[in-house]
Amino acid sequence: MTRSFFSRNGTRSGYQKQARYSAFDLFRRGLSGAEWPRAWRSRDPKSSYDVVVIGGGVHGLATAYYLAKEHGITDVAVLDKGYIGGGASGRNTAIIRSNYLTPEGVRFYDRSVKLYENLSAELNFNVMFSQRGHLTLAHNDGAVRTMRWRAEVNKLEGIDSEVIGPAEIKNLVPFMDTSEHTRYPILGALYHPPGGIIRHDAVVWGYARGADAHDVHIHPYTEVQGIDVENGRVHGVRTNRGGIATSKVVNCTAGYSSLISGMAGVGMPIGTFPLQAAVTERVKPFLHPVVVSGTLHVYVSQTDRGELVFGASVDPFTSYSTRGSLEFIEGLAGHVLELMPSLSKLRLLRQWAGLCDMTPDYSPIMGVTPVEGFYIDVGWGTWGFKAGPVSGEAMAELVATGKTPKIIAAFDLARFAEGRLVGEKGAAAVGH
Amino acid sequence: MILLPCPHCGPRNASEFRYAGEASTRPDPNATTPEEWRAYLYIKNNPAGWTTEKWFHRTGCRRYFTAERHTVTNEVRETRLPAARLESNS
Amino acid sequence: MSRGALKTGKSMRLGRQPGEVLDRSRQFVFTWNGRKYPAFGGDTIISALSAAGESVFSRSFKYHRPRGLLTASFLDPGCNVQVGDEPNVRGAHRKVEPHMAASAQNAWPSLRFDVKSANRYLERFLPPGFYYKTFMEPQRLWPLYERVLQRFAGGGKASPDAPHGYYDKRYAHPDVVVAGGGPAGMGAAVAAAEAGARVMLVEEEHELGGHLRWGDEEDLAALRRLGEEVARNSTIEVMTDSVVTGRYDGNWVAVSQRSLPRVEERLIKARTKTLVVAPGLIERPYVFQGNDAPGVMLSTAARRLINLYAVKPGERAVVLTANAEGDAAVADLERAGVEVARVEDARNGGDIGRVRGGQGAREVECGDGARIECDLVVTATGWTAPTSLLNMAGDKPFYNPAAARFFPSRLPEDVLATGGIAGDGSLDELLEHARATGKEAARRARGIGAALRAGIPQSTDGEEAPQDSPVTIPDLPVNGHLELFRGRTHGIVDYSEDVSSKDLVAAVKEGYDSAELAKRYTTATMGPTQGKLETVNAMAVIAEATGRSMEETGATTWRPPYAPITLGALAGRNFEPVRYSPMQPWHERQGARPLVAGAWIRPDHYGDPEAEVRNVRKNVGVIDVTPLGKLDLRGPDVSELLNFLYVNKWSNLEVGKVRYGVMCAEDGVILDDGVTGRLGPEHYLMTTTSSGAAGVLEWIEDWLQTYQPDWRVHVTPVTGAYASINIAGPKSRELLARVAEGVDLSTEAFPYMNVRTGTVAGVEGCFMWRIGFTGELSYEIHVPAAYGLYVWEALMERGADLGVRPFGVEAQRVLRLEKGHFIVGQDTDALTQGFGAGISWAIKLDKEDFVGKPELVWQGERDGYFRLIGLQPHDGSVAPPEASQIVEGKTIVGRITSSRFSSTLERSICLGFVAPHLAEPGTTVTVQLPNGERITARVMEHLAHYDPEGAKARG
Repeated sequence: MTRSFFSRNGTRSGYQKQARYSAFDLFRRGLSGAEWPRAWRSRDPKSSYDVVVIGGGVHGLATAYYLAKEHGITDVAVLDKGYIGGGASGRNTAIIRSNYLTPEGVRFYDRSVKLYENLSAELNFNVMFSQRGHLTLAHNDGAVRTMRWRAEVNKLEGIDSEVIGPAEIKNLVPFMDTSEHTRYPILGALYHPPGGIIRHDAVVWGYARGADAHDVHIHPYTEVQGIDVENGRVHGVRTNRGGIATSKVVNCTAGYSSLISGMAGVGMPIGTFPLQAAVTERVKPFLHPVVVSGTLHVYVSQTDRGELVFGASVDPFTSYSTRGSLEFIEGLAGHVLELMPSLSKLRLLRQWAGLCDMTPDYSPIMGVTPVEGFYIDVGWGTWGFKAGPVSGEAMAELVATGKTPKIIAAFDLARFAEGRLVGEKGAAAVGH
Repeated sequence: MILLPCPHCGPRNASEFRYAGEASTRPDPNATTPEEWRAYLYIKNNPAGWTTEKWFHRTGCRRYFTAERHTVTNEVRETRLPAARLESNS
Repeated sequence: MSRGALKTGKSMRLGRQPGEVLDRSRQFVFTWNGRKYPAFGGDTIISALSAAGESVFSRSFKYHRPRGLLTASFLDPGCNVQVGDEPNVRGAHRKVEPHMAASAQNAWPSLRFDVKSANRYLERFLPPGFYYKTFMEPQRLWPLYERVLQRFAGGGKASPDAPHGYYDKRYAHPDVVVAGGGPAGMGAAVAAAEAGARVMLVEEEHELGGHLRWGDEEDLAALRRLGEEVARNSTIEVMTDSVVTGRYDGNWVAVSQRSLPRVEERLIKARTKTLVVAPGLIERPYVFQGNDAPGVMLSTAARRLINLYAVKPGERAVVLTANAEGDAAVADLERAGVEVARVEDARNGGDIGRVRGGQGAREVECGDGARIECDLVVTATGWTAPTSLLNMAGDKPFYNPAAARFFPSRLPEDVLATGGIAGDGSLDELLEHARATGKEAARRARGIGAALRAGIPQSTDGEEAPQDSPVTIPDLPVNGHLELFRGRTHGIVDYSEDVSSKDLVAAVKEGYDSAELAKRYTTATMGPTQGKLETVNAMAVIAEATGRSMEETGATTWRPPYAPITLGALAGRNFEPVRYSPMQPWHERQGARPLVAGAWIRPDHYGDPEAEVRNVRKNVGVIDVTPLGKLDLRGPDVSELLNFLYVNKWSNLEVGKVRYGVMCAEDGVILDDGVTGRLGPEHYLMTTTSSGAAGVLEWIEDWLQTYQPDWRVHVTPVTGAYASINIAGPKSRELLARVAEGVDLSTEAFPYMNVRTGTVAGVEGCFMWRIGFTGELSYEIHVPAAYGLYVWEALMERGADLGVRPFGVEAQRVLRLEKGHFIVGQDTDALTQGFGAGISWAIKLDKEDFVGKPELVWQGERDGYFRLIGLQPHDGSVAPPEASQIVEGKTIVGRITSSRFSSTLERSICLGFVAPHLAEPGTTVTVQLPNGERITARVMEHLAHYDPEGAKARG
C-alpha cells in the first residue's frame, strides 16, 4: 500500500520515473541482460535553490526526501563534502531502538522505528531492518533500576520493553557468560524485541534514490565553505563549486556541525568526539539479538554476513581524527570477552572511527536558530542513525511550515540558554 | 596513543590523564545573566585545529594543566601549569 | 575408502629443494575433513594437502564456487580453514601439527559437492546488491528471507565452549621498529643497530628473508649473508610469525607476535621512536574469466610451493608473465618437472582470455584465441604496495601509472619506508637504500629520544639534541610495470567476497560511482584480506567504468589492523581492579553475599537482611563502610574551600564538630553529599559517597588549582588508608565504650554531629564520628586500614553479649530509607538541582559565592521543579519496585526512587520524585506497578518515615 513513487500523493511537477525494484524485475533484467539505471542522478549545482541541506547522510537526505514528498518543496539541494553517506551515516553500527528513558525521547524514537519498519516498502529499497531484539545488560543494582525505569516509561508509551533475568538472557544468547563469577556479573537486562540492526548504507541510498525521484538535487563532493548571513537572515552558501543563493539552509551534519553553525555565527553546545567501531572476521551466525552493556562500554551484534560488529562509548577527548586507537580495540576486546569468553580466538578485522557531536544532555538539537532561515538538526552524539527518518520528517515539516513540530519541541537550541535540558543522559551514555 | 607532556612529569601516555574540557572563564556569579552563565556551562568553540584545554594528570602528579592541542592531528605543542597563566596575567 | 585410512592420492611432493623449509626427519599425520593426511615438519596445512594432491580448499562466499590456492601465503583467500574450535585459520600460513584436525569452511555437505554451488547458475539474477532490490515487502516476511540469507554467511564456526587461552601483553620501548623482515627490512635493521639503535625486526612469515627465500642459489646466498649480519647484532630483536598490525598516533605501534611457545598470540605495544615500513610488495591477481578456478595461482605462489614446500603445483602449465618474477616462475616450474605448455609474455602483448574448468582449471584460452589444455595457470602481472601503515601515519600515497602502484608521498619524521614499497632496483640497490634508511631511522630516533627526555622537567643532565646531519638516502629506481589489472574478460576481483569486475561495473552504472560507494555497494575489499589483494584491481575497474584515471579514482583508506588479530591477544589479561576492605576475610567466613559496587565488592547481606535491620533497631549492628570516600583536607583556607564547594555554610564550624553538606555542580545539579568534620584548627576530614570519591577529589583539585590557586589547602585521598565501621543501634554507645579509650562518650561530652580522635581496641589515631545514616544512635569509626580486621573482630567479640551482629548494604538501604536519607544518583538524577532534593534548608543563597550558585538562585525563583518526597502506599503490604512510575492517566508525573518493606514500621515505605503539584503532604498519587496494576500512595510530611525528629540519633 505504500508504493509511494507510484501511487501516493506528492509532487507531480518534478516527478522522475525510476526503475522499480522487485524480485520480478531482477528476474526480467537477469534474463534480458538489461542494465539498471542510476539510482540517483549526477548534476551540476544550480545557482540557487529554495532549500539547501548541508550533509548528505541519512538526516540530510531524509529531510530533502520528506520536503519534496510531503510538502511539495522540490527545489532542494543536498550538499556533501564527500560521497553521500560517507560520514557518520556510513560509520555507525546501525542499531535501531526506541527504548529511551524520557517520554519525549521514547515518542520521538518510536516514530523513527515505525518509519524504519515501513521504509523498505516506502523507498522501494530493501534497507534490511532486522528486528532481532535488543538487550541492554545491567551489571549492578543501579543499572537494574535504570532499566526498570526505562521499561516502565516505555510501557506507558506503548513500547515493547521489559526487564528480564540472567536465565532468559542465557536463552537468548547462549554464548553469554551469565555466571556469578565474572568481574561484573549480569543481573538482568532491558529486553526490547522491536530493536535491531539495519543496513545503514541502504538507508542512505534509499533516501537518495527517493529524493532524486522527486527531483531533489544531490551534490556529493561539494563542500560548504561559508554561509552568507545578512541582517540576521540567510542568503546563501559558498562552496568549492561556487555560490548558491538560498533563503533556507538546514545543517544536517555530524562531526562538523559546530563548524557549519559557526559559519552562520551560531554557537553550539557541542564537543566533537570520535566514536570507534570494529568488526571481526565472519563466523556462522550464533548471536541473534543486539547486546549492549553500559558498564562494560560495549555493544555487539552479528550481521547477516556473519561479522560481529562492535562499538563502545566515545573517545575520552575531543578530536576530529578518525584514525582510531589501539587502546580502543584493546578495551573493546577485553569487554567482549567478559561477556562471551569463548570468542577469544575470533579475529578483529577492521576498526574505524566516526565523529560524534556530543551535547550536554545527550539529546539532539533540532529546530530554528537565532539566524532566520538557518535550521539545525545536529548534536546527534552516538544515536543519530536511529533517528534519521523521524528527524527528516520533522525537519521537513519545520522548514516547510515554519512551525516546530511537537515531536521535536523538547530538542530546541534555546533549551540550553533557558536551562531546560532533557533528561536522557542515563539512557544514552552507551545506549546503542 | 598520544603522549602528553605533563609540565611536572614529562611526556606520558594520554591514558594517564583525564581530559577536562576546553579552557573557559567563569563569569561573576553575582552579576551574571542566565544567557552568559549557560554559555559558560554549555557553549564550546570546538575548533578543528588548535585548541586550549584543561587536562588532569590522574595517575601521575594530580596536577591540572593547560594544553594546546591540534584536534585534527592530536599534536600537542605546549602545556603549562595554571599558575603560569596567573603569573603571566598579573 | 574408509575415513580412517591415510589419504594416498597422487603425491605432488618433490625431492629436496635448496631453500625448502621442511623438516623431512619429522613426518606425521593430521586430518582434513576427517581423513588422515601425511605432512612434514614445516609444512603449512595447505602445503601438506597440496603435496597430497588436493586442490580445492574452500567454497566461495556467494556462489559457492570451489576455491584453491592463490597466493600460498597468509593472504590466500581460498585457504581459510577451521582448526578445532578456531575459525578462519590461514591454512596457507599456519604450520600443520601432528593430530591437527582441520576442516573446510563454507562447504555443505562436502567440498566436492556443495549444494549451494547451484547459486552459480543464478548468478545473472543475483547482481551486486540484489538484496537491496527485493524482499522489500511485506516487512513481516523479512525475518524469513533474512534467515535464508544468513545461511550463506561465510567463515568458520565459533564454539561456545572454546577455552579462553593464555594471553599476556608486553610493552616495549625500542628505538626503531622495522615492519617487514625481507632483505630491505633486514638491511635497515642491521644498519640501525650498527648506528646504535635498539631494533625490533618484525616479519609476518615464519622466517626472515622475504622473496629471497624462494629465490635461486644467488638469492639464498644473499639471504644467508643477511641472516648472519642480523644474528651478529645483539640489539636486534627478531620476531617472526609476527606482524605490525597498526601504527597509531605518537608512533604507538602494535605488534602481534604468534611465535611464542604456549602463547596463542601476544600483543606488543611498542612506543617506538622511529618506524621503518618495509613490507615488500604483494603480488596482484589478474582479472579474467575463470581467474578463481583452482589451479590458477600467482607466480609467487607457484614459486613458494616449489621452493619452500617442495610441492609440484600442477602437471601442465600456462604462464602469463609481465615481469622477472613470472620468468623465474617459468624456470622453477620447468625445474620441478611441470610441463610449461605456453608462456604468454605480457610485455610482448601476451594475454590470457579465460580459463575453463569447474572443479579446477582444465583449459586456457590465450590472448590469441589458442586453447591449451592445462591444470595450472600462473600469472605474474604486477604488484600492490601495502601502504596500510603509511596511511595510518597520515600519509596519502600517490599512484604512479608508470609503475602501476602506489608510493609514499609525505611521511612524518618518525616514519620511514624502504624496500619495494619505496621503489624497484637490484638487490644491491635495495640494500643500499635500506641501509641508509636504517641508519637515518637510528639518527632520528636519537633526536626524538633526546627531545622526549628534554621534556621531563626534573631531568638534570641537560641533554642536548644530537646535531648530526641527516643520512642521504639514495633514490630507488622505479621500473616500468604494465598497468595490468583486468584482461579482456570479466573475472573475480575480490575472492573473499565473490565480487567480480562485472559487479563493480554494474555498481558504477547504477550511480555508485566513487570508489567508496562501489566498494560499499558490492562489499569488495570488505573481507578477510581487507583489500590487500583486491583494492588496486577494484580501483582499476571502477576507474575504467567511470572513465576516470586511477589518480582521480583515488586510494581508499586502509584501516587498522594491518593483519587480523585475535580478541584474546587484544584483551590480554583482565586487569580490572577490584577493591576489598581489610575486613573482607571475615565477611567471606560469614558467608556474606557479595555486592559489586563500582570498584568495590562488599557484603550485601549475611543471609537475612530483615533480621539485620531489626538488630540495629533493637540492639547494635556493625557495617563495613570502608568504601566511603574520605579526603583529608589541611591548611588555613579549608573553610573557604568548604564554603565554596558546598551549598551550605562552613565558616563557623568548630573543632570537633561535624556538618552534613551537599555539593552541586555549576549547573546546580546535585553532585555529591557527605559529612565533614573539623579535626583541628587547620585539619578537616571530608567524607563523600563511595562512588563519588574519585570524582570529588578531582573536582576539588580543579577548583583549587585552576580557580583559587591562592587558597592554601592540601587534599589527600585517604579512602583506602582507613577501614570504616559504622556501629549503629541503641547499644552502640555501650559497645564503643568497651573498646574506646581517651574519649568521653557521654552525650554531653560527645554530642550528635561531633568527631573525636582516640584509641579503639588499643589502636591509636582512630576517628570516631557521632553521626548516622540509620537514624539510630550510632558511631562511625575510621581505623588505620592495617588494623581494620582486628578492630572489627574486637567489636564482634566484645559486643557478643550485647547482641552485636553485622549488617550489609541491603539492611543499610532499608534503615536509611526509614530515616529518609536520599542517595545521590538514585533519589536524584542528572538533572536534579539542589532545591528539588528537599534540602532547601541547607542552601544558603546569601553566601558570596559557591559552585552552582546562579543556577540555584534561578531555581529558587522558578518553583516549577519536581521534588523529592516521602511516600507511603495506602496498602502497606505493597512495596512498589523502584522506578515504578507515578502517573495521572497516561501521563508520567513522577517515579518511585527508593522503595522497601520496612520491618520496623511493618509497612512499605518509599521516596519518590514528583511534579510540583503533587508534592504537598497528604496528596494521593497513583503508582503504576511493572505488572500494570495501579496503587495509590500518600505523600508524607517528611522524607523520614522513622523518627523524623531525630530524637534517637541525638539520644
